[in-house]
Amino acid sequence: MSTREWVPVEQRWFGLDRRTFKAGFSALAIALLLIYGWQGLNAAIPWHNEIRAGQVLDLGDGATAVPPVGWQLEQGTLVGGAGASATSLQVLLAQGGATIELIGAAYDGSAAAFLDQVHRSQGSPPGVTAARGSLTTDSGLVGVVESGSGPSGDGVDVAFKMGTGDAVDTAPALLVRVRTASGQFEHYEDQVGAMLRSITPGAAR
Amino acid sequence: MTAVPQEKVAQLDAIEESGWGQPYRFLQPHNVAFWVYVVGVGAGAITMLRVFGPGAQFYTPALAGGVVLFGLYLIPWLLLLRHHNRFTAQPASLLATGFVWGGVAATFWIALPANAALLAIWAKIGGTSFAQDWGAGLTAPINEEFGKAIGLILLIGLAPRLVRSAYDGFIIGAFIGLGFQVFEDILYVYNGATQQYGVDQLGSSLRVFIVRGAAGIVSHALFSAIFCAGLMWVLGRTRGERNVVRGVLTMLMAMFFHFAWDDMGGLSNGGVWAAILPFLIAAVELTALFYVLRHAAKHERTWIRELLTPELATGAVDPPLLDAVSGLRRDRKKYRKHLHSRRTANHRLEAASDLAQEIARANGAESPGVVHTRAELLRLHNKP
Repeated sequence: MSTREWVPVEQRWFGLDRRTFKAGFSALAIALLLIYGWQGLNAAIPWHNEIRAGQVLDLGDGATAVPPVGWQLEQGTLVGGAGASATSLQVLLAQGGATIELIGAAYDGSAAAFLDQVHRSQGSPPGVTAARGSLTTDSGLVGVVESGSGPSGDGVDVAFKMGTGDAVDTAPALLVRVRTASGQFEHYEDQVGAMLRSITPGAAR
Repeated sequence: MTAVPQEKVAQLDAIEESGWGQPYRFLQPHNVAFWVYVVGVGAGAITMLRVFGPGAQFYTPALAGGVVLFGLYLIPWLLLLRHHNRFTAQPASLLATGFVWGGVAATFWIALPANAALLAIWAKIGGTSFAQDWGAGLTAPINEEFGKAIGLILLIGLAPRLVRSAYDGFIIGAFIGLGFQVFEDILYVYNGATQQYGVDQLGSSLRVFIVRGAAGIVSHALFSAIFCAGLMWVLGRTRGERNVVRGVLTMLMAMFFHFAWDDMGGLSNGGVWAAILPFLIAAVELTALFYVLRHAAKHERTWIRELLTPELATGAVDPPLLDAVSGLRRDRKKYRKHLHSRRTANHRLEAASDLAQEIARANGAESPGVVHTRAELLRLHNKP
């Protein structure tokens, strides 16, 4: 050790150099403030973005869905808001530990093939999965449904292609992902079903 | 007792004040800054593994593409920053320490959780539409600029004699920002691939590379260079360099640039402005960057002049070369014209910088390195 690096005895504290405290601890304090300060403040502020009757979700390209009343909109925009892109859509609704995500993506192929791709890349719904079924919305879109249930929670994934007729394969894909605590899905089934049936593609589609 | 010439006293003062030639050692167990750095980078690395780990196998093509493309992207950046590191010639290991902080700790330890929390706060306060339009620009400049600047504070703790001037802040800030930029870009590649559920992964990583690579010219490296130069003006670690007002304004300017870049969509509100604004903001940012660089280099130019002035007596350096090596771009241009050869002028400028570094390393004494670099400069002078 060179004399420049030598720590004089009066500057030592449990093997550390007191002269380095200022830089080290101020850096640590700012880092902890940024990491945990915002998280603490975020936890202290409740959501006040409750869905009210008559509000409609913007799914991009003119596509819409009617969200369940009383749920908190934590991500995504309503019709008349900032606007949304159908191929990079991110909507998150939450209520009492249950969540509904609506995720848009560009995908060439059918809704069933899209759901296969989603499950290959990110896994299937939790627990034991039921056989696939289909769901037709009020506007005539046909979605592919797969649900699962287990100790880690209940889940339903529904895949749509947001187009009809010849345009269906090239239309944007929409994944609706519902997650609840174990055995809780039935409490939300009617609200989720109503929202799924309300999904409407844009006029252009 | 022999009287020391005034030029020699000024040279020794410049060496002492600038810290040039001081060695840098990363491993300093007695230093609190070292342990904070280890904790930050360690926690960042764990978060990075948690982010990339679960999908690493499925998204291998995207990740590999991102790492290769942005690895290549680093090369021109490193060459550019090496060119601008000519005054201080900070040790490569110190700059690498900053780069790793920016890439691993600032990105994954600080920015990732802090941004998620603050974005949620904006959505709660202003609604999701407000957060979509303005959230990114009101979040990233706070968390990311300060997160990166913590790396500079830690480097001050690790190398207090080496990190002295606003110019040091500028260069180190650029390296920290570059680390942040490259690692964040790889994260964007990964997110882009997950958003497409793994379809066309290489195409997706190439698209992200083109967009982020182009935007990166006026992105984190630039923001951090300006922000950290401002921070050094606030801290004032060199005699006569403390200027709190200038420092705070410079830091705010970097944060404003970051805000404008992230919220360009909200600012332009679509239409023709969306096409013009990126170029307009880039032009303003680059102008500001060179303005800050010029002011930050003021002390460095004085030091290098004081360092090389005694060499006028040895003939290794002549007044035009001294003016050029310690001057601005226009002075170097003038020198090239004076010699009627760009190549010769560049060789002499580089050799003069080598001599300055050796003098600093030898603490003003006659070392074999000083003798050799002086001889090299004299050889260049005598070359027909």
